[in-house]
Amino acid sequence: MAHKLYREAHPMPFVLTHWINLLAMFFLTLSGFYIHFPIFPGFMGVARGTHFFWMFVLIINLTLRIVLAFVVKSANMPDTREVDLDIKNWLPQAANRHQMIPWIKYYLFLKKDHPISAKYGVLQKIAYLATIPMTFAAAYTGFCLWGPTSDWGFFLAGTTWVADLFNAGGGASLMPMRILHYWIMWVILIFTAAHVYLANIYNFAPSKMIFAWKESGDH
Amino acid sequence: MAHEDRAFYDQLAERGVTRRGFLKFCGSVAAMLGLSETMAPTIAGAVEAAAGSKLYPAVWLNGGACTGCTESAAQSTYPDIAQIVLDILSLNYIETVMMATGEDADKALYQTAEANAGKFIMIYEGTVMTGLEGNTLRVAGKTGLQFIDEIAPKAAAVVAVGSCAVDGGWVKAAPNPAGGTGISMYLKEKGIATPVINLPTCPVNPEWIVAIVIDALLLGGIDENGKVTEGLVSKLDQFGRPSFIFGQTIHDNCPRRGHFENGEFVYQFGSPEEAKGYCLYPVGCKGPQTQTNCPIVRWNNQTSWCVESGAPCIGCGNFNWVDNGAPFLGRMRKIGIGSVGAQGGGWEPGVLGAIAGGAVVGALAVHGVGMKAAGRIGEGPATEPMKEYDAKRAKKGGGN
Ligand code: HEM
Ligand code: HEM
Ligand code: HEM
Ligand code: SF4
Ligand code: SF4
Repeated sequence: MAHKLYREAHPMPFVLTHWINLLAMFFLTLSGFYIHFPIFPGFMGVARGTHFFWMFVLIINLTLRIVLAFVVKSANMPDTREVDLDIKNWLPQAANRHQMIPWIKYYLFLKKDHPISAKYGVLQKIAYLATIPMTFAAAYTGFCLWGPTSDWGFFLAGTTWVADLFNAGGGASLMPMRILHYWIMWVILIFTAAHVYLANIYNFAPSKMIFAWKESGDH
Repeated sequence: MAHEDRAFYDQLAERGVTRRGFLKFCGSVAAMLGLSETMAPTIAGAVEAAAGSKLYPAVWLNGGACTGCTESAAQSTYPDIAQIVLDILSLNYIETVMMATGEDADKALYQTAEANAGKFIMIYEGTVMTGLEGNTLRVAGKTGLQFIDEIAPKAAAVVAVGSCAVDGGWVKAAPNPAGGTGISMYLKEKGIATPVINLPTCPVNPEWIVAIVIDALLLGGIDENGKVTEGLVSKLDQFGRPSFIFGQTIHDNCPRRGHFENGEFVYQFGSPEEAKGYCLYPVGCKGPQTQTNCPIVRWNNQTSWCVESGAPCIGCGNFNWVDNGAPFLGRMRKIGIGSVGAQGGGWEPGVLGAIAGGAVVGALAVHGVGMKAAGRIGEGPATEPMKEYDAKRAKKGGGN
C-alpha cells in the first residue's frame, strides 16, 4: 500500500471541520455521560451548558461540511494531486465497483492483497456516509429531549413513535427517547473506535494529514 | 342576594372552609385553567350559583380499578371545596359509594344514559380489561367491555380518571395478561367517537377533576346541547390531556431544581444530602421525563407532593408508567427483549451500551493482533494488480 498523502486529500476546510467535529463529539460525550449519571457532585449546570453549546456547534459544522462537499475539490484517489468535486469522491466512484466482497475478505484475513480502492474503500465510504444520519439522529433525538423544542410537532411525533416502539402501544413518555439518545452515543463511540483503529492501524500518516495537514510519503 | 349566598357560605363553613379560603381556591383553579386571577370571582360566582343544583348528570364506571381514584376524588375524611364542586355533578351511578345495589343500581345507570343521551358525562376509572374476550372483568353477569359499549356512545364526553383509565396504568405493565388498555384506545378501536379527556396519575388528583368540571360545565366547555366545544378540545394535547395540567415537566417546576443545576444530589437515602433536601435525580427521580403540574397543584388539599415529601417522582403521570418508570429508584428504565425481562429482569441501557462498545473494542484489538501477525502494519500489503471481479471476467474471456 504505502500511499503518498498529499494535502489535496484533505483540503484545509475539511481539516477544520474534522477538528471541530472531534471537539464537539468529545465535549458532548463527556457532558452526556455526566448528564446520564452524575458520578460526582457539583457539575450538572456546567455539563448541561456544555452539552447545549456543543450540540449547536456539531450540527452547524456538519451542515457546513455537507455544503462544502459541493464546493470544495479534493483528491479523487490516494497517491494523487488530481482533484474532483468532493461530493463525487464521497459517493461511489468507478474504482469502488465490485469491491465490497474483496474488502470484507481482506478485513477478515481471507484475502492477502490490499483491494483496489478509490478515494476511500467501500466499507470506509459506507462508514463515513453513515456518520451523517448518525449525527442527525443524535441531533434529532437530542432536540426531542430539549425543553425549548420538545413540544414542536416535528419532534413530538418522533417521541411518540419511539415510545410506541418501546412499549407496544404507549403514548406520551420521554423515557424511551432518553434511552435512544443515550444509545446513539454508544453507536457514535463504536463508530469512532473502529474509525480511529482503521485510520491508524498501518501508520500515523493519515492522522498527520487530517489533524496537522502534513504531507507524507516521498514526493 | 343574601339568602342563597348565606346558604352557600354556611355550607362551606360546615366543611371548615372560610370565604377567603374559597376565593383563594377559585384563584388557583383560574391559574390552573390558564386564566387570569381576575377570573377568580367569576369562577366563584359560577360555583356558587351551581352549588347543590345537581346540574349535570354523570355516571362513574369502574373498570379494572383499585378504587384509589374514587378514594382520591372523594377525600372522604375531609370533605371540602372540591366536594362542593363535584356535587354539581348529579352522580347517578357510582358503584363504590352509591346506596343502591344489584338491579336497582344497574337501572340507575341505564336510565341515566337513556334519559340524558348525549348530555351526560361518563367518568371512567380503572383499566379497560380486554383479556379473555373481556372476561378478565365481569360485573353483574356482563363483561366490563359490554358496559362501555352500551354507555360510552351515549355520553357527551368521557373523563378518564387516573392512569389506568388513560392507558391501562399499572395493570397494563408487561406481560399484561389481562389485556389492559386505556378507554380512549378502546373507544378508538371500536369506532366510538365520544371525546375523551385524559387525566393520568395514579391515583388521579381531585383538583384536576375539579378544574375540568368547572371548565367544561360552568365555563362553557360543553354547550347546552351537550356538545364538547372547540374551546375545550383546543385545550387538549394530542393524547387528550388538558395541556394546562400536563404541558410542562415536573422537573421544570420542581423546588429542588436549583440543587439539580448546582449538582447537589442525593446518592443515598439516609445521607446528609437527603436531609438537606437535595435533588433526587441519581436515586431515580423521573421528574425530567414526566409532564404533570404536581409541583404547582400538589396533593392532599395542596399539602405536599412526592418530591416535596422526599420521594423521587416515579412518573405515574406517564403513559405505560410502570414499565417506563421501573426500577423506581434507578435512573433509567431497564430494557427487556419483547416482554421478557420487563419485570424485574431486563438490563440497564448503560450495561447494554457498554457490552456492545466493549465487544467492538475487543474485536478491534484481536484484529490488530491479526494485522501484526499478517505483517500488514507499517507499509501494508501490496495492492492487488486487478480487481477480483475483473480478474474472473478476464479468465472467462469476457470484457468489462
Ligand atoms: C445536536 C445534537 C445533540 C442535541 C440537541 C442533544 C441534546 C441533549 C439533551 C437536551 C439532553 C438532555 C439533557 C437534560 O435535559 O438535562 C441530552 C442528554 C444526553 N446527550 Fe445529547 N444532544 C446532542 C448530541 C449528543 C451527542 C453527539 C452525544 C454523544 C456522543 C450525546 C450524548 C448525550 C447523553 C449520553 C445524554 C444523557 C442522556 C440520559 O442518560 O438521560 N448527545 N442531549
Ligand atoms: C481520536 C479521534 C479521531 C481520529 C484519530 C480520526 C482520524 C481520522 C483520519 C486519519 C481521517 C482520514 C482518513 C483517511 O484519509 O483515510 C479521518 C477522516 C474522517 N473522520 Fe475521523 N478521526 C477521529 C474522530 C472522528 C469522529 C468522532 C468522527 C465522527 C463521528 C470522525 C469522522 C470522520 C470523517 C467523516 C472523515 C472523513 C473526512 C472528511 O472527508 O471530512 N472522525 N479521521
Ligand atoms: C478564577 C476566576 C473567577 C471565578 C472563580 C469567578 C467566579 C464567579 C462566580 C461564581 C460568579 C457568580 C455567578 C453566578 O452565580 O451567577 C461570578 C460573577 C461575575 N464575575 Fe467572576 N469569577 C472569576 C473571574 C472573573 C473575572 C476575571 C472577571 C472580570 C474581569 C469576572 C467578572 C464577573 C462578573 C462581572 C460577574 C457578575 C457579577 C454580578 O453582576 O453579580 N469574574 N464570578
Ligand atoms: S428532584 Fe426530580 S424533578 Fe426535582 S429537580 Fe431533581 S430530578 Fe428534577
Ligand atoms: S410527582 Fe410524579 S409520582 Fe408523584 S404524583 Fe406526580 S407524576 Fe406521580
